[in-house]
This record gives sequence, structure tokens and C-alpha cells, in this order.
Amino acid sequence: MDEFIASLGSPLIMGILLGGLYAVIALGLSLVFGVMRLLNVAHGDLVIFGSYFAYLVITFLGIDPILSLVLGIPFLFLIGFAIQKFLMARAFKLSMEAPLIIAFGISLVLENVYQIMFSPMSRGISTSYSMESFVLGRIYIPIVYVLNFIAALLVMVSLHAFLKRTYLGQAIIAASQDAVAAQLKGINTARIFAMTFGIAGATAAVAGVFLGLTFPFTPISGISFLIVAFGVVILGGLGSVLGTFMGGMILGLAQTLGAHFFGSAAQMLILDIMVLVILAVRPQGLFGR
Amino acid sequence: MLKVGSIDAFYGSLQVLWDVSIEIKPGEIVAIIGSNGSGKSTLLNVISGIIHPARGSIVFRGMDITSMDPFQIVGLGISQVPEGRRIFPDMTVFENLRIGSYSRGARSKREENLKHVYRLFPRLEERRNQIAKTLSGGERQMMMIGSALMSDPKLLLLDEMSLGLSPLVVNEIYKVMKEIRSKGITIIFVEQNVRRTLNEAERAYILETGRIVLSGKAEALREEEKVKKAYFGTR
Amino acid sequence: MALLAILPIIGLPKDWILYIFLFCVYLALANMWNLLCGYCGLISLCQTAFIGLAGYTLVIFTWNGLPISLGILCSAVVAAVFAVLISLPLFRLRGIYFAIGSLIVPDALRVVFLLWRPVGDKIHGKGAGYMLKGLEDISMTHIYWLAILVGIGSIFIMRLILSSKLGMGLAAIRDNDTAASSSGINIFRLKLCAFVISAIVSALAGAIFFMFDGYIAPTGGFNMKWTMTMILATVIGGISTEEGPMIGTVIIVFLHFVLARYAGISLVIQGTLLIIIMLLVPQGIMGFLRKTRPYQSFLRLLTR
Repeated sequence: MDEFIASLGSPLIMGILLGGLYAVIALGLSLVFGVMRLLNVAHGDLVIFGSYFAYLVITFLGIDPILSLVLGIPFLFLIGFAIQKFLMARAFKLSMEAPLIIAFGISLVLENVYQIMFSPMSRGISTSYSMESFVLGRIYIPIVYVLNFIAALLVMVSLHAFLKRTYLGQAIIAASQDAVAAQLKGINTARIFAMTFGIAGATAAVAGVFLGLTFPFTPISGISFLIVAFGVVILGGLGSVLGTFMGGMILGLAQTLGAHFFGSAAQMLILDIMVLVILAVRPQGLFGR
Repeated sequence: MLKVGSIDAFYGSLQVLWDVSIEIKPGEIVAIIGSNGSGKSTLLNVISGIIHPARGSIVFRGMDITSMDPFQIVGLGISQVPEGRRIFPDMTVFENLRIGSYSRGARSKREENLKHVYRLFPRLEERRNQIAKTLSGGERQMMMIGSALMSDPKLLLLDEMSLGLSPLVVNEIYKVMKEIRSKGITIIFVEQNVRRTLNEAERAYILETGRIVLSGKAEALREEEKVKKAYFGTR
Repeated sequence: MALLAILPIIGLPKDWILYIFLFCVYLALANMWNLLCGYCGLISLCQTAFIGLAGYTLVIFTWNGLPISLGILCSAVVAAVFAVLISLPLFRLRGIYFAIGSLIVPDALRVVFLLWRPVGDKIHGKGAGYMLKGLEDISMTHIYWLAILVGIGSIFIMRLILSSKLGMGLAAIRDNDTAASSSGINIFRLKLCAFVISAIVSALAGAIFFMFDGYIAPTGGFNMKWTMTMILATVIGGISTEEGPMIGTVIIVFLHFVLARYAGISLVIQGTLLIIIMLLVPQGIMGFLRKTRPYQSFLRLLTR
């Protein structure tokens, strides 16, 4: 019995820490959906973009991926901004389905560009510390997982502060609650939407780096992580930072415990099934509005 | 100050305004009166830039604002309190007020305007950390007017403020309106209730199914009230 | 407004047979996607699930020496049952939620079939693919005819549905959800019917394709390529139009062969094309044509 409990220690802690990563991945999805009511099916692929970008940086420039965020964040911000400004803004005026289909198109284009550039082989980002672990008694905790969590905390705290304390952040919140009323307050909603998408891209950059450090990824990994993000958003509810974190942790635990009991090959499958079950049982989520 | 010239406006393919023209001078309190479906909210939305007219022009302080975006128009000094008390429900009272000073020009005067708003509506200061959706109808209306004032407007558009509010609250709001005007802000307000409105306004336009049917000084229009009673059947 | 039916052609050069074969398979899929998206407002990204399931059902049948015709029928049944099963979680979701939810299904199945070997011995190494057995007795022509059956069949099925009670109910839903439900139409049941029908037809199309191809693997069977094809075909041709998928599929097949050499880029181009078309000509070719004068006069000519 002791053995059993002890062996659980690692997956438990890792699951919670992993939750941080998943929360960051979900953040961009949640933001875009909360503000513009668009479920960006290309979000997972944007995160993977961040992963491949960091991969390129370390492979060709030898720069640590976390440092590469200095470039990665603005770059992905611009991409997100551009997607909204030039593609989605027009799509919204057309119909309800148009933005979704376009997001789907973007997703496919990205996935196949990755495939052309990097082959379907799975890749990972390795650094000096990516293989190291902390050891607490008999529990091994990979350093990367701890870094994930710290990064997640940083991102969420700063985003929360940004949204609450800056004019731009408040404008984003206002636009998400009532876009027309926001316009009447002098808010340029078109630009706000583009900014939101850009911020989502920026968070994707961060998520991508840590994802690449934690898991191997392939050109089609985007979908798997989109599904996770979706699950987190459903669980945590929109507009709730805490909820997103909790949702992330629940799914993180599901994955690590699932891997522990059923083997690592089944990890993502367990997540898929869990998200489907969540959808079946409680589409409104556990927290948030 | 504001010249609306021969506006035709559509909702999709449905025409809502026909050849509407109004003129507002600085410092006035002007009413636009009409029953439901007369197009009065549409007129305000056209002025605010939310709807663009199919024909006609809008000139504000010498500038043609006909095809400008709403946020630009707010920046120029026109602020609307829309009907239906559209608040930001999950933000606090303070946040609702603060977001009112979003436009460039208003930001520097935020503290000053905020003090002014709290003086006009002391209850808002009491409840400043309360979540907006928990406010009563009257408080919401006050908050929305306050928020509009935060954008440092020169022209204030009020859409059906008294709808669904008790007479006491309505009185308070009209009192506030006069105070606002005394600070030099021009006011256009839209209402259905003919008699009360004509008591508060200096001039009025009467809108019926998208067309201006009567206009003039309030006293003059009040004389014609018998005619209006027939038109609107108001008490 | 009847359009011409294509007559089964015998004795054409090999290339053409391939074109028409693919056309029929893709047409069936596009029609089904159109049914769900254009007429039910359901953006389904899980049609590949049915295709892949059909393929694997065939594998089970052929490896166990059972007649393949039974296998084809069974794949339709499997798909239908599966459709009912996943409609439980999926149908609680509206619009966009539904789309992502439906995205999960093929992905989950892909992993399932990577791990699970329904027949045969444990094979080590990458690729959980199977060759279909027992196909030597079936001639190309037969497969070809089956394809035409499914393809043309899908057109008739669409016709049938749209002019039936089911179809009118769907049209009502599409135009106004709440009004429709208050007039007593059971939205859920209608959409479920359409969903199951789409599952069956898609499965049949998939089964026939795998009979032709002879091989199935999780990445190929549950690939987004299928979804892309049906979406692109429908969007190019015109969503919510009867003829749209037909025109779109012709273009898609043409595209496929032009781009066959550039395997990787093919999908990039398709994706970009989808985005461009969606932004510039969202109603598709049919939608666009309908608004033009020459087409309307052409119609008047036909119905005189």
C-alpha cells in the first residue's frame, strides 16, 4: 500500500505542474473566445509554431529557448494580430461559420507547412536542463515541469494585471462584455480584437516553448493540444483565471495519472476521452460565467 | 454645433429614417420625441456613427463626421448613453466609469471628471466597488450617464433614460441633466413621453415613422398639445 | 431545376476511371458535409471518423474471411451506431463548440487504432497499417461501379432528404432555431437523422475507397485530408446549394491531379484556397452564379 501511494507521488505532483502548461495553452483560446466568440481551431497549431520557432533558434543559433521568447513573443503577437486584422475581421462580417472554416484552413496550412519544413518526425527541444529532475525522496520531478508552472504563474499574473489595470486591458474586457457599448466609450473595437488575437499569439509563443521542452511534438500535435486547451476552457469557464488554472490542473492530473496506470501511449487518448466526457456532462464548465 | 442634413438610414434593406434634418446649437437642451418604431434610437446611432446613413450628412463643429467610426466620434466629443441601460455587467461601478475616459482627450481629465460624477451621483461613489449587474435600474442609468460624462463630451446623447424608472428617479435624472448643461454640455435626449419631455426641453423635434413631423420651441409645441394627444394618445 | 445525371460509362481509359472514381467518392462526402453544414448548421469535423471506421471494419471482415459485401454493409452499420454514440456528447454543443468537439473524435480514433490491433499478430514498429485481404477476386470495374452507385446515390439521397419532411424541418431550423422548435419540430431528432445518414454514406464512400486502395493506416484513415477535401469542395461549389458539392468536387479532383506531384504543398494550397474563397466568394460558385443575370435567364429557359 505504501508503495502504491509513494509511486503516485510523482504523477500527482507532475500532473499539477503540468496543469500550469495547459493553462497557458488554454489562455489564448479562452481570450479569443471570450472577446470575439471565436473558437480558434488553429490555436494549437500556433502553439506548435512557437515550439518549432524555439526549436529552430536552439538548433541553428544555440540560444536557449526561453531566451528565444524575446523574439518569439513579438513575432507570434504580430502573426495573431495579422490573422485577426486581415482574415478574421472580414470573416466575421460574412457569417457565423466563416471564421471557423477559415481558422480550419489556417490550421491545415500551418500543419502542412510544418510537415514540409520539418518532416513528420517528432521533435523535441533539448537543453542542458531539459532532462534533469529534482528528487524529493522517491519522487522525481523533472525540472521542466517546475519551470512550466512558474512560467504559467508569471503569464497569468501579468495578464491578469494587464487586464485589470491598463486602459487597453479594460477595453478588451469591455469589448468582450458588450462590443457596441464599448464602441460608444471610444474604444476602437477593430483594433482591440486584433490586439486580443495578438496577445493570444504571444501566449502561444510561451506555451510553445515550454511544450517543446516537455513533450516531443509533430506537425499534427496542434490538434491534440487544441483539444486539451478546449477541455481546460470548458472546465475552467471563461473569464476566470483561477478557473483556467484549475481546469489545467485537472487535465494535467488526468494525463499523468492515466499514463501511470495505463501506460504513456494512451495519455492523449485519455485526455481526448475525458474532454468528450466533460462535454457530454457539463458543457458550461465548473467555474466562471 | 451639430447639423444633421437629410439623412436616410436603413437597417439592412428596411428604411428607417427618411430625409431627417436637425440642427443643434451649443448649450441647448433639445428633445427628440417619438413612439416606438419612430426611428429615434436610429437617429442617435447615426449621429454616434454606429449606423452610417445611406444619404445625407452629419457635421459636428464644422467637421464632417458622416462616415467616421464610432470611436472617433466619441473622441471628437459626442457621447451617447444608449437605451436599455447597456452596462458592462461584470465590471465594477468604478471600472464602468473609468472605461468611459478611454479616449485620448478624456484620460488626462479622468480624476477631475470622476470627482464631478461622484458629486452628481453620490450613490455611485458609495457603490463604486459593486459589480454593475447587481445595481438597480435607476443606479445603472446614473452609472451610464456618469460613464458618458467621463469621456468629457461636448454633446451628450441620451436615449430613453426614463424608460422603466420610477418618477422619483426620473426627476433626479432631469435635475442632473440641467446641472450637466450648466457645465456647458449640449444635450439631445430622446423620449416617448411627450408632456414631461416638453417641460424639460427648450426645443424639440417630433419623429414619426422615420420622418420629422414637427419641430420648434418647446412652448410652441406645448400649445399644440391637443394635436399631439391625438397623435400619441399620451396622458 | 433538374441537373443531368452522369451515365455509367464502360470502357473508358484508365485515367478517366480514376478521376470519376475519386469524383464519386468525394462527391458523396461533400454532399454529406453540405447536408450537415449547409442545411443543419453543424460544422462536422468528424466525418473522417466514419471513413476510417469503415476501413477498419473491412479489415476485420477480410482478415476473417468473411464476404466483403457483408463487410461493406457492416461498415455502414458500425458508422451509424458510432454516430448515435458520439451524438450523445456532441449534440449538447452548439455551433462552434460542436465543431471542436467533433474534431476530437477522429483524433481519438487515430490513437485508438495506433494502439489496438483488431486482427492479426502484434506487429512491431511504426505504422499500424493493414493491407486489405481477399480483394483479388474483385475487379476494378466492380469497385468503380460501386463508387458510382454511392456518388450518384448521394445526390439522390440529398434530393430525397431535402424534399421530405426531414428536409423541410431542417430548412426551418436553419432559418430560425427557436421558431422551429416552438412549432413542434424536434430539432434534436432531425439533426440526429441527418448526422446518422451522413455517417452511413461517408462510411460507404470510405469503404469503397479502401477497397480500391487496399491499405489503411491510422494516419491515413483518420486524416484531416478528408475533412479538408469535403469542406473545400462544398465551399468552392457553394454551401447550402444542391449543385454546389458537384461543381466543387469536379474542381477538387482536378486540383488533386494537378497537385499530385507536389504532395506536401497540395494541402497548403488547398488550405490557402479555402481561406481565399471563404473571404472573397463565400457563397461559392453556385451562390455567385445564382445572383447573376445570365444564369437566371438560363433557368427561365429550362423551366419554360
